[in-house]
This record gives sequence, C-alpha cells and structure tokens, in this order.
Amino acid sequence: MTEILRILQVARTDFSYFFRTKWLMAVLLSLNLSDMLVIGLVYNGMMSIDYFKFFAPAVVIMGLFMGAMDTGRRIWLALREGVTQYYLSLPISNIGLVAAYLIAGSFAAMVYSCSLLLIALLVLPVGAIFNALLLLPFLFMLAAGLAGIAASLAALASTHGEFFFAYQQIVQIFLLAFSTVYYPKEVMAAYLPSIVVNVASANPLSIAAEALREFVFKGVQIQPNVVMALFLSSFPFALIGTFAYHRTLCNLQVRGKL
Amino acid sequence: MSSVTRIIWFDLKQELNPPVWIIVEWIVFAVQVSVYGALISNLVTSMSDYLKFYAVGLAIMLTFEIGSHTGRHFVEHAHEGRLPYLLSLPIPRWKLFLAIALQGGFELALMLIVPLCALQVIIGNLTLVSVFSAIGTLFWLGFGVSGLMLALSFIAFRSADVYSAIVTALSTLIIRFSTVFYPLIFLPPSYAGVAILSPLTYGSDLVRLILGFDPSILVDPGIAVSVLTALAISTLGLGTLLLQRLVEGVKSG
Repeated sequence: MTEILRILQVARTDFSYFFRTKWLMAVLLSLNLSDMLVIGLVYNGMMSIDYFKFFAPAVVIMGLFMGAMDTGRRIWLALREGVTQYYLSLPISNIGLVAAYLIAGSFAAMVYSCSLLLIALLVLPVGAIFNALLLLPFLFMLAAGLAGIAASLAALASTHGEFFFAYQQIVQIFLLAFSTVYYPKEVMAAYLPSIVVNVASANPLSIAAEALREFVFKGVQIQPNVVMALFLSSFPFALIGTFAYHRTLCNLQVRGKL
Repeated sequence: MSSVTRIIWFDLKQELNPPVWIIVEWIVFAVQVSVYGALISNLVTSMSDYLKFYAVGLAIMLTFEIGSHTGRHFVEHAHEGRLPYLLSLPIPRWKLFLAIALQGGFELALMLIVPLCALQVIIGNLTLVSVFSAIGTLFWLGFGVSGLMLALSFIAFRSADVYSAIVTALSTLIIRFSTVFYPLIFLPPSYAGVAILSPLTYGSDLVRLILGFDPSILVDPGIAVSVLTALAISTLGLGTLLLQRLVEGVKSG
C-alpha cells in the first residue's frame, strides 16, 4: 500500500511538469488543431470523400501519440539532469519508479488528447457521446503503450538527446504513415502489399482511430473485440517500455552513470 | 575567408559526427512521399497527380525547417555559452553572421540532396536550368527564413521558452496557411487571405512554376520573386542590425 502511495506521489510530481510547460503545450495543441481545422478542411474540398469527418477523430489519436511521446522527453531530461539519481535515492522500488513515469505520461497524453476530443465533438456531428467516455480507459491503455515506446527510446538514447529525438521522429513517421490514421484501409489495400496493410490494421493507432470514428462519431455500438484488440496491441509496448526503462535504472544504480 | 570557413566547420562537424539528423530527414522524406503522399494522392480527385505537388511541398517544408533550425541553433548557442566564445574571437561581427548564414546554406544543401533526386525521379523531364533555378529559389527562401528566425532571436535573449513557443506557432501558421501542400484555389476564402501573407506561398509556387507545374494554379511569378527577395534582404538585414546591437552581454544558462 505504501509503495502504491509513493508511486502515485512520484507520478503526481512528474505529471505536474506537463503543466509547467503549458506555453509549449498550448502551441503544440495549436499544431494539432491546425491539422484538424486547416489541413482537414482543405483536403476535404479536394477529395470526393468526407475527409474532415474521417480526419478529425484521427487528430485526437495523433494528439494522444504526441502527448505520450513527451514521456520520453521527460525521462531523457531526468537522466541528463540527474533527477533520476535523486529518484533512485527515494524509498521506492525501480519498478515503482517506472510505473510512476508511465502513469504520469499516460495522464498527460489523456489531458492533451481529451482537449482535442472536446474540440472534435464540437465541430463534428456526434453519434454516441457516451461511447467516448467508455473508450477513455482503453485510450489510457494505448497512452501507456505509447509512453512505453517513448521510455524505450529514451533508455536507448541514454543521455544523447539528439538520438532520442531522431528515434522519436523515425518511430512517429512509421507508426503514423503505416496506419489508417490519415487514409482509409481500402486505399492502403489498393496501393500497398497485403502484409503491410495487415500490419497497419493491427497498429494500435489504427484501431484507436477506427474506434473513435465508428463508436463515437458514427454511433455504432462498442464491439468488445475492437477494444480488446486495442488493449492487446498496446500492452506489449507498455511491457517493453517497462523492461527497457527498468534496465536503465538498474544499470544507473549499479554503475552510478550511463 | 579562412576564419569564416573554420567557424562553419566548427559547428558543421558536430552535425556530421554522426549525421543523424540528415539521415533521419531523408528517411522521413522517403516515407512521406512514397507512403503518405502516394496514398493521399489517390484520395485527391480535384487535381491530377497530386503526388508531384506534394513532393515539391515537402522539399519546401524541409527548406523552411532547416532555415528555421539555423536561427534556433544560434539562440541555443547563445544560451549554452558558445556565442560569448565566438564573440571573443578576433573576427568582425559581419563575418560571424556570414558564417552562420553559410552554415545554414551547407546544411540545406546536404539535406536537400536526396529530396531533390527524388523530385527528379517523380517529376521527370527536368532540364538543368530548371533544376538549378529551383535550387536557387530554395536557397533564397532558406536565407529569408533563417533571417526571420535570427531577427526573432532577440525575444530569446529575454526568454527562451517564449521564443520556442512563438517560433513553433509561427512555423505552424506559415506552413499550414500557405500553398505548400495545396493550391491557393482550393483554400477557403478566409484561409486564402492569410495564405497570401505567408512567404512559403511565394517560395513554393515559384519553385513549382520553374519545375513546370500549371501556372493557372500558382501565384504570379513576378510577385513571388519580389516577395522572396524582399523577405531575404529585409530579414537578413534586420537580423544583422539586431545582432550587432543585442548579442553583446547575452546571458548564458
């Protein structure tokens, strides 16, 4: 019980950093908003499909992705500035520390993406608003998975900040481009090999974007297999992130440096 | 001139050892054109071969990012204490400024090698004149953007956070509200009004005109040349003027 309280305390401290950079967060939010309200609307006028309706829910998932990736930046900063050394001196286990970072990162991503979701709910006709609330725990799981990816990248980059941002950009481009965030699955199937389309369909970002489009904006009843797929596709990433960051902490504890 | 070369190499060798960012930009460009651009092109029905339009837009965006990076780099150096070191060297300020601008130019050239080859393949039928004119326009635009970011750097000397926020917001507006990814005729009237204020609108449409795109969907080339020239001269001039006055006594840390 004490360990859980400590995890929550560390998570709260880390989460508070998210609000300390509120200027930057507001600007990043404006970036996603301009994606939704400028790119989405302009492309809508250039395409035969209702692209704005397709794209706006995807922007919410992109926001979730960006928010969760910020976990990696905070881990990297903590490693570079020696904050991690201080955390290691606290009466909390290493695995507890990892859990605290992932929880804080997931909450930050949820705050970030929920503000985008609210805007999407205002600009698009909503089929079933209650479904949005039901999807939130699964989106939290996705955020934890993405935070896990970010933690792995931060652990891999160690104190080399430029490598972390390079890895992040590569992961971002591959995860977003090979997903149904920007384009429907049928368009991908007509152009890309079936194996790539299958991978893109199993991409947690595709599942989450489709879930928002279908269950929240079209109002289709939530299907358990879809949310289970979202959970199962996110969980391994959270696990890998936990393992990678835990190993980094152990190395740091034994050797005193990275 | 050797002092300018030495300063350029001083910074450039760190970027090239290893050249992480250059390779990352090439990979990102390749995936964006071959996957995102190709798939979105299949969805766009109101213009033929949107992929070509998009690929040129990406090269423009890359130019903008590198120009912007040069300006930001300068600010980072000021805060990390490298600028006071450079200022203590026995070289005139104008040479220092020239070195910064030329370093941006070299970075731009390195980053654009692969994207320009890709454009050659995608667009095809390019002449040597059109390729060199397009490169010249990209460099002119890059210098203008670098100058703009350098001119804004005086904000950073007061607050680096506010500078980051302003530059990110400005970059977002300049790119989204421009013809980098879509022709002006497809922009809603309220957006088009903002787009004609963006320098990227003129840079991207001029490059497209040189590369043989349909002039009816592009802005007037005469106006585009005038705007780009005015931007490059005014921002670089303003940047030089401000730097002469502001760089002394910049606090590091």
